[in-house]
Amino acid sequence: MLETRGAVVLDDFVADLSWAPDGGRLAVAGGEGKVFLVTRPVGSSTGAASRALQAREVGEHLLGALSVAWQPRGENFVSCGQDGALMLHDGVAGQQLALQRPRALGLTSIAWAPDGRCLATASGRQLNLWTSTLELAHALPPLEAGIAAIGWDRPGRDLAAAVNGGVIVHRIEPPRFELRKYAWEAPCVALAYSDNGKVLACGTQDGSVHFWYLNTGRDSQMRGYPGKVDCIAFSGDSRWLATAAGDQLVLWDFGGRGPEGSRPLQLAGHTDRIDALAFQPNGNLLASIGRDWRLSLWLPGKTPGALDAHLTEAEPSCLRWSPDGRFLAVGERRGRVSIYEVLRLA
Amino acid sequence: MLDAGGMIVHGRLFCASTGHSLRYHASIMPATERIPVTVLTGFLGSGKTTLLNRILTEQHGKRIAVIENEFGEVGVDHQLVIGAEEEIFETNNGCICCTVRGDLLRILGQLLKRRDRFDHIIVETTGMADPGPVAQTFFLDDDFKRQFVLDAIVTVVDARHIEQHLEQMDEPAEQLAFADVVLLNKTDLVSEAALERIERRVRGMNGTARLYRTRNADVPIDAVLGIGAFDLERALAVDAAFLEPEYPFEWAGLYDLPAGRHELRVGGEVPHAHDHGHHDHHGHDHHHDHGHAHHDHHGHNHGDGLALVVLPAAGVDDAALAACIEPAVRAFAEAPAVVACGGALRPAAAPYRIDISHAGGGAVLELAQPGTVAVFCEHGPAEAGLAFAGHAPSVQRAFASHHHDDEIHSIGLSDPRAVDPGKFNDWISYLLKSRGEDIFRMKGVIALSGEDRRYVFHGVHMMFDGQLERPWPVGAPRINTLVFIGRNLDRQEIEAGFESCVA
Repeated sequence: MLETRGAVVLDDFVADLSWAPDGGRLAVAGGEGKVFLVTRPVGSSTGAASRALQAREVGEHLLGALSVAWQPRGENFVSCGQDGALMLHDGVAGQQLALQRPRALGLTSIAWAPDGRCLATASGRQLNLWTSTLELAHALPPLEAGIAAIGWDRPGRDLAAAVNGGVIVHRIEPPRFELRKYAWEAPCVALAYSDNGKVLACGTQDGSVHFWYLNTGRDSQMRGYPGKVDCIAFSGDSRWLATAAGDQLVLWDFGGRGPEGSRPLQLAGHTDRIDALAFQPNGNLLASIGRDWRLSLWLPGKTPGALDAHLTEAEPSCLRWSPDGRFLAVGERRGRVSIYEVLRLA
Repeated sequence: MLDAGGMIVHGRLFCASTGHSLRYHASIMPATERIPVTVLTGFLGSGKTTLLNRILTEQHGKRIAVIENEFGEVGVDHQLVIGAEEEIFETNNGCICCTVRGDLLRILGQLLKRRDRFDHIIVETTGMADPGPVAQTFFLDDDFKRQFVLDAIVTVVDARHIEQHLEQMDEPAEQLAFADVVLLNKTDLVSEAALERIERRVRGMNGTARLYRTRNADVPIDAVLGIGAFDLERALAVDAAFLEPEYPFEWAGLYDLPAGRHELRVGGEVPHAHDHGHHDHHGHDHHHDHGHAHHDHHGHNHGDGLALVVLPAAGVDDAALAACIEPAVRAFAEAPAVVACGGALRPAAAPYRIDISHAGGGAVLELAQPGTVAVFCEHGPAEAGLAFAGHAPSVQRAFASHHHDDEIHSIGLSDPRAVDPGKFNDWISYLLKSRGEDIFRMKGVIALSGEDRRYVFHGVHMMFDGQLERPWPVGAPRINTLVFIGRNLDRQEIEAGFESCVA
């Protein structure tokens, strides 16, 4: 199922990865601060042997890069770092196009709107909106609490921020920015929208998952996790909500009458903390990485165990699907970036 | 509401509001793999920033990340300094003792991704901060407990102003109560007697902290970093004196004296009854009332005299002094004989109370024949101004203070009897529920019946963590040791609670 298609070892540990829309390049944020552009050799998917990826350094953040995000439908990507800087890079030539220092706080989450026209950044309690050329478009009023995670809904109209006390959603319709709060008395640490726009879910520090039906505002809670739920994702068809806390991978079925009253699927396989999970874009395959050095691939509802699992060469740190859902990129703490092709089931 | 039912067993933290059971597991996390975190507290002007700068600039080979309350105060090239907004919130449905620092949850979560980069993390709090939420943040999150280890809470104290601060505010006492290390800083600005008095007071509040006297926060780095105070294995590396029974005296010395009369001077820094403020250094109006007791700044005065006991001793060494301790305790229980200034003392099994209303006053010890005497004094010699003319003690010893003048104090228990695990669990659960708010820190090593390993625990308010660690040494006595630091703690209640746990 999973076939290695190329790898490169960077002189840095891999803090984040982001695919170019064409799936031919990857932006990489290095924990020591370097930003890399990694290119996948053409035709590598057909060769049986692994081939080396090409990597070059295209920028640097002082004291560590935190995240990279490729502009949807675009040729540029942004990176942010512990130095509080936000950089726009040309994803072909590699040069730096713009630099902003929105605030002297290094903690920044970044997320492009799905259409690529607007970039949202979070730093402390502050949410900012930027144009695609990295000019400040709007600074929203500071929120009541620090922001742990941000995310856009599928149409790119709503921007959600997970905070202590719930999820705050801004309707992004300049010049008006309408605010709604989905309150839940817990520190919310991760969030996910269903692609069909019906559900907003968040994972909490208190070991629960809380979700809201957006058309009615009705909410529900799933409890019993062994710790904070900081990995949460909806499948492309909006049926499955995958959640992870510790080594537990738990899926809730939002098909039919919804998860109320049902028992969740528990996918057994990881033996140590799960650090990331992601659904295949437009598909139902789920990938996860854990501190057991395992990359696992699952097909929820079809097979109880993992479809495939690979041991990585060091502890994996991040995981991203290519936009077409054919490839998985996995970054490791020791600097390796590997690309796997997901082959069809026999 | 959905409930995943028995999907995953709960049982990580104790919280009174949810009644989770105590953690009781046998896994051992190698401390070396976790990143140590030092929490730095102290009032504005105490020297906290000086200490931080010292740590960051000294050549110790450690890569340090600093999480600072105000960005920009400290700045050293190539050191990661992260500005933080102290965001305190309650978890576990509003249990007030489960407050944590939300900003730390996020920042540490980020640093975890890059944990290879750091050898040590320092969290600096604002001057008025309660260290509780910071410490509790590390208990809250299993992932943090696995990746970070709270190394120590270091509290820097401005020796010149601490007594005044303690009278005026609650926060300095709380910062002292939480401390594993106390730097008594700016010692050059206060007298030896004041330092002794402050140390005694700090000891009374927190019997387990390591105390250093410093100027300009100048302390060896390994006295503040990498000391493993929260390491359960070392949780009870407590000053043995603290676990002793309460003594009515703070100091004892042995003097080998010839027969005759020996002048004993006391009262070095007591109010001077004759000093009527006739030294006006300002050259202006001489009618100012300078006050007659302006040296009595501490609310504990010696007005009713200094209590001491003089006993004959059988030698000039430690053993001879130790042999006198029990008789001295009994002697202090007797009614004191009041001795006027210049009056006579003889070795006796009852205390004297010497009038020290006059500076340089005292008494005369009369010995019919040469010999060694043990002098037990309710205060240390510098504070009491105690001195024998022409003689130095051959052996002296300080005794831990257990004066409970402050609301915040610490209680230590030491007991060799095995403890029933179920009863102990019940007692600690009850204690945390009923007194968790008042118990700032607690730590202990417990000898559970039927268990060859030590059960080691510590807690911050209602957050509790305990585990079985290395076995007790074969053949050696298994001594339970418990320490509680908190506000208005009742020793009898805690002793009775422990008594109920004896197997």
